[in-house]
Amino acid sequence: MKIAMRKSSGLLLTVAFVIVSALMQVITLPQTGLAQELAKNPKAISAANPALKLALPLKEGSVRFAIIGDTGTGSNAQYQVGAMMGMYHEIFPFQFVVMLGDNMYGGEKPKDYENKFERAYQKLLNNKVKFYASLGNHDQTTQVNYEPFNMNGKEFYRFTKGNVAFYALNSTYMDKRQIEWLESELAKDTSEWKICFFHHPPYSSGGKHGSENQLREIVEPIFVKHGVNVVLTGHDHFYERIKPQKGIYYFVSGGGGKLRKGDVKANSPLTAKAFDTDMHFMIAEVVGDSLYFQVVSRTGETVDSGVLARQRKN
Amino acid sequence: MSTHFQQETRGSRSKGSRVTLASALQFQIVMKSKSVSKFRYLLNTACLLASAALCIVPANVALAQKLPTSSPASAADRNTVAIFAARAKAYVKLRNRVESKLQKLSKDSTPEQIASHKKAFEEGVRTARVGAKPGDIFTTGAGEYLRRMIRNEFKGQDRGEVKEAILDAETSGVPLKVNYPYPETKEVSAIPPTLLLRLPELPKELNYRFVRRHMLLIDKENGLILDYMLNALP
Repeated sequence: MKIAMRKSSGLLLTVAFVIVSALMQVITLPQTGLAQELAKNPKAISAANPALKLALPLKEGSVRFAIIGDTGTGSNAQYQVGAMMGMYHEIFPFQFVVMLGDNMYGGEKPKDYENKFERAYQKLLNNKVKFYASLGNHDQTTQVNYEPFNMNGKEFYRFTKGNVAFYALNSTYMDKRQIEWLESELAKDTSEWKICFFHHPPYSSGGKHGSENQLREIVEPIFVKHGVNVVLTGHDHFYERIKPQKGIYYFVSGGGGKLRKGDVKANSPLTAKAFDTDMHFMIAEVVGDSLYFQVVSRTGETVDSGVLARQRKN
Repeated sequence: MSTHFQQETRGSRSKGSRVTLASALQFQIVMKSKSVSKFRYLLNTACLLASAALCIVPANVALAQKLPTSSPASAADRNTVAIFAARAKAYVKLRNRVESKLQKLSKDSTPEQIASHKKAFEEGVRTARVGAKPGDIFTTGAGEYLRRMIRNEFKGQDRGEVKEAILDAETSGVPLKVNYPYPETKEVSAIPPTLLLRLPELPKELNYRFVRRHMLLIDKENGLILDYMLNALP
């Protein structure tokens, strides 16, 4: 009896060791030789590793950025997505990252900022990649003062990069003050591209959350009236490219740190493309009247890519 | 009517237009005494009345037409909302006084600075508001008014899902206690913007928030629960 117990505990220990080792390998994988080799010759590695294909044109003078949503778990999976972003940054040096909210789940102590953000994107931060955050339903307003989020003390704000204007909104509390600000800013905006990003999706095929109809009721007429081109949102923990709605391109990209496997409703009339089997991030490049995008899974697989034509010419 | 501040503006506009109207009528009386034809008299009156009416139309008419608004408020409602707004403003004055004594938090702060500022702010306000109790800001009248606005918003057939989303939020364990911090580990349920537009607009430092069926009033910077209203959601 005693021998049997010893045997089984030994077996359990071995199994635990194997699992831990495997996990450690997965966690450290992106930081090993591949990333170093990428730095030396990104194109060669990209060609050699089909998982690191770049579907963006990398044109001189273009606006290059990445998109992540629902990231702040501090989980290994978030770190793996962060590491993959670091690798892609080497073959596609994006200048900044927009964050679609839920930047910090379950607490916002100083240690949380470190574990749920800084360490996950250390490589990008070291490379002076700027992050622009929006607030989700798991975020405290105090994040607006956190320097690396570049919110300048504001819950909703605008910034421009080249010919693109970005609007970060707080969809958890879309009050009259914010709506009037948005309308007045958009009304005087002469940028060629207007991209709004926030947490709750006006359109989504998510089973758990889905489309936020009341939000849409308020913001969509403003987007349409003022020629917003693209809307980036999170909240639903998967990727979905929505079929253009009233001439606007909508994306749901809420799988940067959490995944709701199989949550995209089958045969949804909204879906142009969806991915809900692993976590992901997006990279994008604006070149004149075109916006190229690519969606990369945690493991480096390209799950969607394409080019969007600017809808309205100024 | 959707906000107290609108109320104030609208109130002052109405006052202004009453003056205009009175002057216009005086003018008309003078005109009449000068035996102006009846037709011209009526035309002038109509024009002046139309001008006076234009003064009352909100400047942001294009937006106002699209956004859902509550039905026109009665004098009693206006009074209720004014009291509610005055109490909210009084709180803001108090919390600003507390904050002014703290080291200023810059917009490029470290997590440590954010955390220590929030803690000191929270403690300062708790001390300054010792004895605060439910109903201090959500007065009985305000409670009734807000409940009516919420009920109206949730009348629509498509509002069931919204209610479900609010009830589904991870808010269990949030204390329903005035002057207590809203736990930062808990979700902040989104308030439908269509509802927010019906409710009296708050000073920028404060937010409405749902916890299950209850409505809370929160200071979004120090995270304190300032007041709450039970079973606000129908």
